[in-house]
Amino acid sequence: MASQLSFTGFAWKNLWRRRLRTFLTLVGITMGIGAFVALVGFSRAFEHEWLRMYTSSGIDIAVVQSNLLSSSIDESLSAKISAVPDVAQVAPMIFNLMDLTPEVNALVYGWRANSFEFDSLTLLSGRRFHDGAPEILLGDLLASNLGKKPGDTISILGTNFTVVGTYRGGSALESGAVIMPLDQMQNVAGMEGKVTAFHVKLRPPPVGETQDAYVKQASAAIEAVLPDIKAVPAAERAANNQLVDLAHAVAWGTSAIALLIGILGIANTMAMSVFERTREIGILRALGWKGRHVILLILAEATALGFAGGLLGIGIGWGALRLLSSLPQTASVVSASVSPMHLFESLIIAIASGLLAGAYPAWRGARLSPVEALRYE
Amino acid sequence: MSSPLSARVPILEARGLVKSYDEGRVEALRGVDVQIDAGEYVAISGPSGSGKSTLLHLLGGLDVATQGQVFFKGSELGKAVDLDSYRSRRVGFIFQAFYLLPTLRAIENVQVAMLALHENANHRAERAATLLEEMGLSHRMRHFPNQLSAGERQRVAIARALANDPTILLADEPTGNLDSVNSARTMEILSGIREQRGMTMIIVTHENDIAHAAPRHIRIRDGRIEL
Repeated sequence: MASQLSFTGFAWKNLWRRRLRTFLTLVGITMGIGAFVALVGFSRAFEHEWLRMYTSSGIDIAVVQSNLLSSSIDESLSAKISAVPDVAQVAPMIFNLMDLTPEVNALVYGWRANSFEFDSLTLLSGRRFHDGAPEILLGDLLASNLGKKPGDTISILGTNFTVVGTYRGGSALESGAVIMPLDQMQNVAGMEGKVTAFHVKLRPPPVGETQDAYVKQASAAIEAVLPDIKAVPAAERAANNQLVDLAHAVAWGTSAIALLIGILGIANTMAMSVFERTREIGILRALGWKGRHVILLILAEATALGFAGGLLGIGIGWGALRLLSSLPQTASVVSASVSPMHLFESLIIAIASGLLAGAYPAWRGARLSPVEALRYE
Repeated sequence: MSSPLSARVPILEARGLVKSYDEGRVEALRGVDVQIDAGEYVAISGPSGSGKSTLLHLLGGLDVATQGQVFFKGSELGKAVDLDSYRSRRVGFIFQAFYLLPTLRAIENVQVAMLALHENANHRAERAATLLEEMGLSHRMRHFPNQLSAGERQRVAIARALANDPTILLADEPTGNLDSVNSARTMEILSGIREQRGMTMIIVTHENDIAHAAPRHIRIRDGRIEL
C-alpha cells in the first residue's frame, strides 16, 4: 500500500528533521510545566492540609492579629474571648517553622496540655506532656524521619526537650510536627506572655441556625470585644492565611517565570523554523495552500511541542513532589498528593503555551508572498 | 453577427499588465496584453531579465500585478477568483529548481499538493502512486529528493503539478537544470500529458528548439511582447 501523508504526519516530520532543537525546546517547556505541577501542586496540597488540620481539630474560629505574617497577641486576652457567650473553649497557641537539625525543619506548635486540639490526635506511644516541663510530642512522620522515640531528647534553639510520646495527626502538617507546652514555646521563641493565635471551639449552634451563619455571628461578637484583632472562620483561615498565601504567591510566581521561559523557547524554535523554511512555505503556497493552512501547520507543530512538554513536565513535576515528600527535610510540609484537576490544568496550560508561542511565527508564515518566498535563498 | 453567448472566451487573458519592483524603479513588465485559448500550447522566450518568468507568475496567480488584470475564463484573478483556490485547483506549476520538499519521500511530495483540498488520505496516496507510475517512477516512490537524479526529481515535480487535475500547466524553464537526455524526456512527457489531457500549457524557456516546437511562440523583451 502506498505510504500516506497526513497533515499531522507532515507536522511531525518537520519537528523530527531538527531533532536536537526539538529536544531542547521540549526540555524548556517540560521544565516550565514541571515547575508548575510541583510548586502549584505543593501550595494547593499545603492549603488542603491546613484545612484538614482545622477541620479535624474541631476549630471553629481562629483569632489572630490583623494582616500580620507573625501574629503576636497577649495571652491574657483568652479570658475576654472565653467570656463571649457562644464560645465553648479557647486554646491559645503558637506555631513556627524551626530547625530541629541542620537538615530537618518542622512546624513546632506550643499548646496547653489541656487544649481541646489534642482531641483530634491519636497517641501512638508514651503520654501527653505536662505544662511547665521541657517535654515534647512528635508526629509519627517526623519521629520516623528523625529516628526518635519516647525517652530520647532533642535540642531546639539551645534547649533540650525530652520526647514523651508520638501521635498521629489529622493532617500532614500535624503528623510532621512537634508539639510542646505553650510556656516552653514562649521561652524558646522569645514570646513570653504572647501567643500566635487563639483557636476557638463554639457551643453547638441554636436550633434552626446554620453553622456558617452561627460562626460568622460569633466571629463578629469576638471582634466586637477585641478591637484590632481578627476572628476568622476556620475554613476561611485555611484558605487565606498568610503562609498559604505566601506559598501560592511563590508557587505561581516561580511557575510563571519557568513557563515564560518555556514559551519563549517554543516561540524561538517556531520563528527559526519559519525563517529557515521560507522557501518551503513558498512552495506550499504555490501549490495552493491558503494562509490558514500554513497557520494550521505551524500551530500544529507548536502545539505538539506544548503537549509533549506538558506530558513530560507532569511526570517530572509529580516525581519531584514525591521525592520532596519522602525527604526528611521537607516531608513535614510537602504532600505528594496531586489532584487530577491540577494535572489536567497543567496539560491545558502546556497546550495553550504552544498555541501562544506559535501564534506569531504562524501569522508571519501565512503572510509570506508565494513568489517572494520562492525567491528566498 | 455573433451573439455574446457564442463569443469564445479565452482560458487566460492578460490586459495591460505592469509589474514594477523597488518602488517603481525597476519595471519587469511594461504593459502586456495576451490571450491564451483552452488547450493551447504556448512557449514564452526571451533574454534573461526580460520579464518572461514574471508574466508566468502573474498568469499563475503566484504574484499580483502593479497595474492591469488577469482573467481566468473571463473572471478576474484576485477579485472574482480566489488566488489560493486558483493555484490549487486550476493550475499546476513546474519549476526549474524542482522545489521538492527535502523531508518528504517522492510519493509524499506529490500528496502534499492535495493536503490543502481535504481529500481522503487513501485517495491522495493512490493518486500520487498512479501519477508516479505514469512518470516511470514506481520504483522510486519511497526515495527522498536527495536520493533521486535531476531528471527523476523533475518527473516527481510534474506528477505533483498534476495532482489536483489542473486545466493549465505552467512550466518555468522545466529543462533548465537537466542534461540533454533528461531534457528531451521531460519535454516528451509534457507533450504526452498535454495531448492526453487536452491541457493548456505555457512554457517559459530560453531554449530555441523547445520554443520553436510550440505551435505558438511569444517573444518578450524589456517587459514587452515583441510583435
